[in-house]
Amino acid sequence: MSFSAWLELIASGLITGGIYALVALGLNLQYGLMRILNIAHGEFLMLGAYLTWMGHESFGLSPLLMVPVSFLVLMALGLVVHRLCFRRLTATSPNLDIFEARGLMVAFGLMFLVQNFASWMWGGDLRGYDYLADPVKIGEAQFAGNKLLVFGLALVFSVALILLLKLTLLGKGVRALMQSPVGAQLVGIDTQRLHPLMFGIGLGLSGVAGSLLSMAYTITPSMGEPYTVTALIVITLGGFGSMSGALAGGLLLGVIEALGMQFTSPSLKALLSYSVFTAVLLLRPRGLFSK
Amino acid sequence: MNNRQILVRDLLVLLAFAGWALALPHYGSEFVVSMALTCLMYVALSSSWGLFCGSTRYMSLATSAFFGIGAYTSAVCLGQFSWVESILLGAGLSAVVAVVMGLAVLHLRGTYFAVLTFGMTELIMHAVTFFEKRFSGTVGRVLTVAPESDTIYITMLLLAVLAVLASILLRRSRFGLALMGIGADEQRAQTLGVNTRLVKTAGFALTAAFGGAVGAAMAVRWTYIDPHTVFNPFIGFQTVLIALIGGAVTLWGPLIAAIVFSVLAETLRLQFPQIYMMSLGLLLILCVLYLPGGLASLRWDTFQGWWQAGRQWARSWRAGERKNG
Repeated sequence: MSFSAWLELIASGLITGGIYALVALGLNLQYGLMRILNIAHGEFLMLGAYLTWMGHESFGLSPLLMVPVSFLVLMALGLVVHRLCFRRLTATSPNLDIFEARGLMVAFGLMFLVQNFASWMWGGDLRGYDYLADPVKIGEAQFAGNKLLVFGLALVFSVALILLLKLTLLGKGVRALMQSPVGAQLVGIDTQRLHPLMFGIGLGLSGVAGSLLSMAYTITPSMGEPYTVTALIVITLGGFGSMSGALAGGLLLGVIEALGMQFTSPSLKALLSYSVFTAVLLLRPRGLFSK
Repeated sequence: MNNRQILVRDLLVLLAFAGWALALPHYGSEFVVSMALTCLMYVALSSSWGLFCGSTRYMSLATSAFFGIGAYTSAVCLGQFSWVESILLGAGLSAVVAVVMGLAVLHLRGTYFAVLTFGMTELIMHAVTFFEKRFSGTVGRVLTVAPESDTIYITMLLLAVLAVLASILLRRSRFGLALMGIGADEQRAQTLGVNTRLVKTAGFALTAAFGGAVGAAMAVRWTYIDPHTVFNPFIGFQTVLIALIGGAVTLWGPLIAAIVFSVLAETLRLQFPQIYMMSLGLLLILCVLYLPGGLASLRWDTFQGWWQAGRQWARSWRAGERKNG
């Protein structure tokens, strides 16, 4: 294989990886911060994708304009879901283990609810629209314009979130909450307000991811589950709760998949990512980059 | 009631259920019998799930892996071996896989365990798909040799009765108590001299054996199987759902919930598949939030508790209204 072919392979892996990292952001926030393993994450992503598609098809809005709209809509939905389910769950669960198990079950319920709502509302067909589908030439290699745009925006959102957590007072509060919920409460951080807010932002981010994905891929009501699994793999690679870890993990997974598919066969893609996932969970359950 | 009386009562109830189910094919229509078969399948799966996962609180999502392994075993073996042998082989193979899996993952607790068992199920499914495509040259398999439908029904009934019987007897044995002890506090159980690793692996293998046997028996009923139908994670989810909604720690909970579910599924699923799934999701959420002990923990006091909580909520809401307005 020539040098430029290698470069193209790795670049396409990185582009997929950037999208993986974006998909994982919201879930990472919810699990790392609140121990809510939101298995319905992919379904909310699918809602964001459908919102964008509807905005584009029915009202002729630019998909880029729909990105903040789906963020806000899903964030509002997140606040409602938190108020209805997780607030009561936090209040009634005797300890964190039980809270996690019950939260997982509630998330399964949400998954059935949202996925079937979508297929009832929009039908099970494949949907999609053309947006910036022309190839862009960079050096020798060619990439689809919309995928490059999605990759760029994915990096922007990931870095913005990392900076938000690192630099602002809100971010400091959130990180304190990740380290020790009780300690955070003791120093006067308002967990009652921070929890719903962060759950909402987590769902909002999944909406953003869905909105961006709809620009480059076709969408169906059942598209969510593979993305949930990818997000799970990415955050296990990066370590639960670590944003920069998730970014690195996502990029790494993208490159591993691209290389693996090149050298074995494309039908092995799912097998490959599940093997990576199981191996990491078994050998390094705290994430690849933990000390 | 003392311990012995409870044992006798449980055994009598089981006997009554089994007798009723045994008589069903003689007067019920074909539709009713097929519904009863699905029901028995979920009784066996969720009772055996509750046996290990309910008492130790290790939430396994791997039921569909064992189900699929059983189904494939009977699909491959039924030509050479007899019906009973194929089912035993399916159960045995699933148990072996469970022992290997258990040794690898049973030191992880909580969400890690649930997620990892789910991942391993998908891994097995994709591995089987790949193997079939590469070496067998086909994705699905058609089962040409099949026993009569009466035989399948009686086998499934036997498996369901065995699963419930096993949970009745196990909770009185040292082994069952050790499982309960692990569920309550694993470290304490270990300190008190329970070999937790051995007990957990054995319990997991027992659950898996039931899953494999049920899969082996169900495969002939479906006549055509492929990895996506028999390793369908939904089989695992629904088992967990039934056990949790019924009450995973209780004896009769999974059985009650399985009956409720099968009736709901057969009546709603054909006409309104999405509505069925949506109500399933809603039911699960409501159950986890308001009835964490499951249907079997439903007593007169529960309704009273809800009524009082509702009144209290209304009162505080009205008070807030007065303050604001």
